[in-house]
Amino acid sequence: MATANFRNDLVKELPYLRRFARGLCGDASLADDLVQDCVERALTKSHLYDPARPLRAWLYAVLRNIFVSNWRRNAKFVGAKTVDDLVGFEGSVAPEQDSNFSVAVITEALDTLPTQQREVLVLISLEEMSYKDASEIIGVPIGTIMSRLSRARAHLENILEKRGTTVLRRVK
Amino acid sequence: MAFETVENWALHAFADGELEGEERSAMERLLVENDEARKALVAINYQKSELRRAFGGVVDEAVPLSLIATAQGRGGRGFLPYAAMAASVVLVVMGAAGGWYSAQHSESVQTAELAHRALVAHEVYSVDVRHPVEVAAAEQDHLQAWLSKRVGTAIKIPNLDAEGFSLLGGRLVTAGDNPAGQLMYETADKQRLTIFIASNTENKDSALRLVENGKLITCYWSDKKLAMAVTGDMAKDEMMVLAKNIYEQMDIKS
Repeated sequence: MATANFRNDLVKELPYLRRFARGLCGDASLADDLVQDCVERALTKSHLYDPARPLRAWLYAVLRNIFVSNWRRNAKFVGAKTVDDLVGFEGSVAPEQDSNFSVAVITEALDTLPTQQREVLVLISLEEMSYKDASEIIGVPIGTIMSRLSRARAHLENILEKRGTTVLRRVK
Repeated sequence: MAFETVENWALHAFADGELEGEERSAMERLLVENDEARKALVAINYQKSELRRAFGGVVDEAVPLSLIATAQGRGGRGFLPYAAMAASVVLVVMGAAGGWYSAQHSESVQTAELAHRALVAHEVYSVDVRHPVEVAAAEQDHLQAWLSKRVGTAIKIPNLDAEGFSLLGGRLVTAGDNPAGQLMYETADKQRLTIFIASNTENKDSALRLVENGKLITCYWSDKKLAMAVTGDMAKDEMMVLAKNIYEQMDIKS
């Protein structure tokens, strides 16, 4: 049974869980489903939480495990997009200002990343987790985190560069 | 340290604040000398800032009440708020109040749910010292127009100055799948009162009911196109006077 303190702390982490989930799966309502599952599991597994460790990292691990197991089982979580899918992109997104990318463009670019790279990128670039925390959350050595991270960043940069020129061409 | 490629691990580690001591100094020296390394660092930082710009705002969004309720152990999916409410005291206010009492005695699921949602929303937002509302009272006209538009029915923001409650402002909340509004008021000694306003999807009027939950008391009813719940920490008769006042001010002839 989760204690009242644990529940209170859990409520405080909800905004961050929602952001992490949004980064992982892009879609807002899928992301909130994921957070809902995470909260339910965290409450039943609260006795496994070691209060000496940061709660956020523990919750991220719970959420990430649900995401990965659902993603393996359930096609709805699969990003399944490739760079080729982006070519047919409709110009429904407004022309970019100051060369910033829209949320839709960034989400689509993230969807082209393999999940193993995306989760590392989201944990470190968006959630600002340390390499050590990311390594514990995902359960791989720090060296693996670092190589996935650099590949994810290079891949994303590549996609966004192409998208940037596509957008510019359309605007002209 | 030689700079070899944009995938150089140390550059990423530097950008992510993972380098310390001599490793960090070495990278700083490299950045001074090496244009390519500097450009690569700018690209990494730019991408990080783009990701945060795209998703960072999520932490400032209102968390769905269903998530908060689950985290607090008040159920979640499939949770029936009116079942939980059976445990609390429900008083139906009878006809003494005159014209504002309706013949609808049986408690509808919708209004009971509404009271629960109003209570949760009150508990979540009224304790927030710095960000109790999304739109402050200074923009009352905008708030009224915005909530009317989102709820789908003209809403008039009641004036409770005479009762000692001044408007703080309001925010958009949810009532099931639909948008709802929450107005917040405060007394001089920082006692807060909220009014929860949703569209009356059952389209029938109900009696005025009071439900107590700990120190809080919620008075709720549905009338014409709106379902409303007033929540605050006060005595029953005080709440009745307030609710009647609000009811009369909200009673838009339509």
